[in-house]
Amino acid sequence: MVVSECRREESSLKRRKLWEEPMTMEKGSSSAYIGPMGLIKRHEFVRVIIQCLSSLGFHKSAFCLESESGICYKSKDFEVLEPEILNGNWEDCIKCLSGIKGLTDETRSSALFLILQQCLLEFLSHGDVSTALAFLQKQVSALKMETDKIRILAFNMLFKGSGEINSSISELRKKLLGELEKLLPPPVVLPERRLEHLVGTAVVSQIDSCVYHNSPGPVSLYEDHCCGRDQIPTDTVQILAAHQNEVWFVQFSYSGEYLASASSDCTAIIWKVLPDGGFTIKHTLQSHQNPVSFVAWSPDDTMLLTCGNVEVVKLWDVETGTCKRTFGDHGFTVSSCAWFPDSKRIVCGSSDPEKGICMWDCEGNELKAWRGMRMRKVLDLAVTSDGTHLISVFSDKEIRILNVLTNSEHIISEEHSITSLSVSADGNFFIVNLNSQEIHMWDVVGKWKKPLKYTGHKQHKYVIRSCFGGFNSAFIASGSENSEVYIWNRQRSKPLEVLSGHSMTVNCVSWNPRNPQMLASASDDHTVRIWGPVGTIISKEETIPNPCIMHFPLCTY
Amino acid sequence: MEYDPRLYEQIAVSDNDTHNIVLSYLIHNCFKETVESFICSTGIKKPADCLEDIDRRKRIIKFALDGNALKAIELTEQLAPDLLEKNKDLHFELLSLHFIELVRSKRCTEALEFAQKNLSPFGKVQTYVKKLEDLMALLAYEEPEKSPMFHLFSLDRRQMVAEDLNRAILAHTNQPSYSSLERLIQQTTVVDRQLNQEHGKEGQSSFSLEEFVKKKIRTSTQEFPSKGQKQDA
Repeated sequence: MVVSECRREESSLKRRKLWEEPMTMEKGSSSAYIGPMGLIKRHEFVRVIIQCLSSLGFHKSAFCLESESGICYKSKDFEVLEPEILNGNWEDCIKCLSGIKGLTDETRSSALFLILQQCLLEFLSHGDVSTALAFLQKQVSALKMETDKIRILAFNMLFKGSGEINSSISELRKKLLGELEKLLPPPVVLPERRLEHLVGTAVVSQIDSCVYHNSPGPVSLYEDHCCGRDQIPTDTVQILAAHQNEVWFVQFSYSGEYLASASSDCTAIIWKVLPDGGFTIKHTLQSHQNPVSFVAWSPDDTMLLTCGNVEVVKLWDVETGTCKRTFGDHGFTVSSCAWFPDSKRIVCGSSDPEKGICMWDCEGNELKAWRGMRMRKVLDLAVTSDGTHLISVFSDKEIRILNVLTNSEHIISEEHSITSLSVSADGNFFIVNLNSQEIHMWDVVGKWKKPLKYTGHKQHKYVIRSCFGGFNSAFIASGSENSEVYIWNRQRSKPLEVLSGHSMTVNCVSWNPRNPQMLASASDDHTVRIWGPVGTIISKEETIPNPCIMHFPLCTY
Repeated sequence: MEYDPRLYEQIAVSDNDTHNIVLSYLIHNCFKETVESFICSTGIKKPADCLEDIDRRKRIIKFALDGNALKAIELTEQLAPDLLEKNKDLHFELLSLHFIELVRSKRCTEALEFAQKNLSPFGKVQTYVKKLEDLMALLAYEEPEKSPMFHLFSLDRRQMVAEDLNRAILAHTNQPSYSSLERLIQQTTVVDRQLNQEHGKEGQSSFSLEEFVKKKIRTSTQEFPSKGQKQDA
């Protein structure tokens, strides 16, 4: 803070008078309280503005405001303390500091410690050993310092022989002043950048209440921030009609460049997302004998796992579309699988209670298994993005969260059947769909006693899946048995939007991790729909039996 | 552990052993005249250079006990040039002794300068930091003997340092650092404790030498006179 340097002409006597009664001496408007509800003290407001002007570099303006308003940025205490430190009047300094009211003992002793440290350093650097010791002994007994601080002060004297300092004395004193400014509380010293902080808090609060908020970046101060529904996907932009039967699963790759869909027609399709927002088929993966109900992208997006309810697991190369490996046989059917972040290890959960959960490497070697009497059918499982937790859903009401590193586990018991599980991108939360038409969100570490609940969709009999999505994973989307897609803002339990378009049950949804305005849904009506914000060209519903898709370019990205 | 007293009587203790135990104790503690007279009285062989070595060591240890650590260091360096280098902890303790003496005699300025010159290298090593903080804090008090660090002035401390120095010098001249008597007492205590633990006897883990000796002497004189007892020389 360089405000003092601009004030050379003003006499300090006049200044001191101004501090005594800040409220009655103010020039300008007479009210002491301002703001919409009269909650803000005018002189505090002005003081904060002066600080802000200085921190933005407008020192002349800051000085002008001080004289015009009669309010001084620096408190009386600080105005006395500052020159004493800069001039090295240590005795006076300590007296002043001891006299400042409103300090906790801890703050006061920390401040005294800093001052003593600088003072001793200065004496010793001049070779003034006996003065240093005498000063130290006097202050220790007068101030009743804590033993710990005394020890450190004394210890540091070992290294401060004469002529051993790197910076100049005045630089060190300025540094000391800076440290004291950070230490001393208001009203003696204001916290740094106070106005920015206050405005920032208001902005953050507005963003938090903005239910449609779906993009990063700064917001304008001119109006209270509030996004419209054109920020989130609400309209069908494309229909992908290549499957011959019900589409049960859909998921974007981590890079957002691909979409995988799985169908009861026993195939899975890898779609490529084009730069203009359109989709084309990259590969159709055809070697399963039974319906494919689940896919999982490797974290590096080079491989895809597919599996089905009564079907083996296949590992596919995304680039070539060839099947690299098949895991298991008709004895071991896998209901769900997940990757570890190294893209080298896979966990699979079996619908056969005796098989439990297995961890494999990509070559098919079994690395670990969780089996045993307590194992029941595994309905779904997931691994958090940092690889620390393995979450599994057991038939049909139990969720087990295992910390893979410590091997500790905690269990959540739901009251209704769970059909699916989805983990947030940051690995801190997960959601489960229940047959009671609720989606429950829990925290991974297990601190929450109750879940957050989301309702509005329909789910009685089928496996319906949901997902996190949007900027900062602020939204949840889910399929529904009434052929609609539901979107919630995580903070509200009632749906934000209901998207119509499908003609049959929507089984699964996936939000593009790189494009917060692109959502995909998979339905029993044999199609995958791509949704985008209002304002993009609305598609007409057309299902085409060949792998050739109608698409309309997205305007937004 | 309680054993049948007769078991003890079956063990013969040779004169040679007892004399060596006593001699080792006397040498360890630098009782030069007693050593000479003991050797005369018992007729055992005098170890080579024994008396000169005791003399040298005794001087050094006395300086340390008196608080003249610098002289003790000087003589130790003469006797064994790399001993202190190899025993950093000991070196530190000796330097600290000198520092403490300076503070005690109110020569604080000298003490600080001494510390800056000789103790600051230790300050860069984490293991010495806490001890150095204690030492340096003495300078902060007008009456250091009333400070929380007053224990640094105690005689016990000086004795411990002197003893450590004694052991280091003995080790350096290829003599045992512990006298056989010490070791025997330590051995008995350890074994007794271990046996008590194995036999599950709680509360009997503290071995009292006095109790032990009292019991054993009383028992043997009551029940088994004369066999195995020796006349005084």
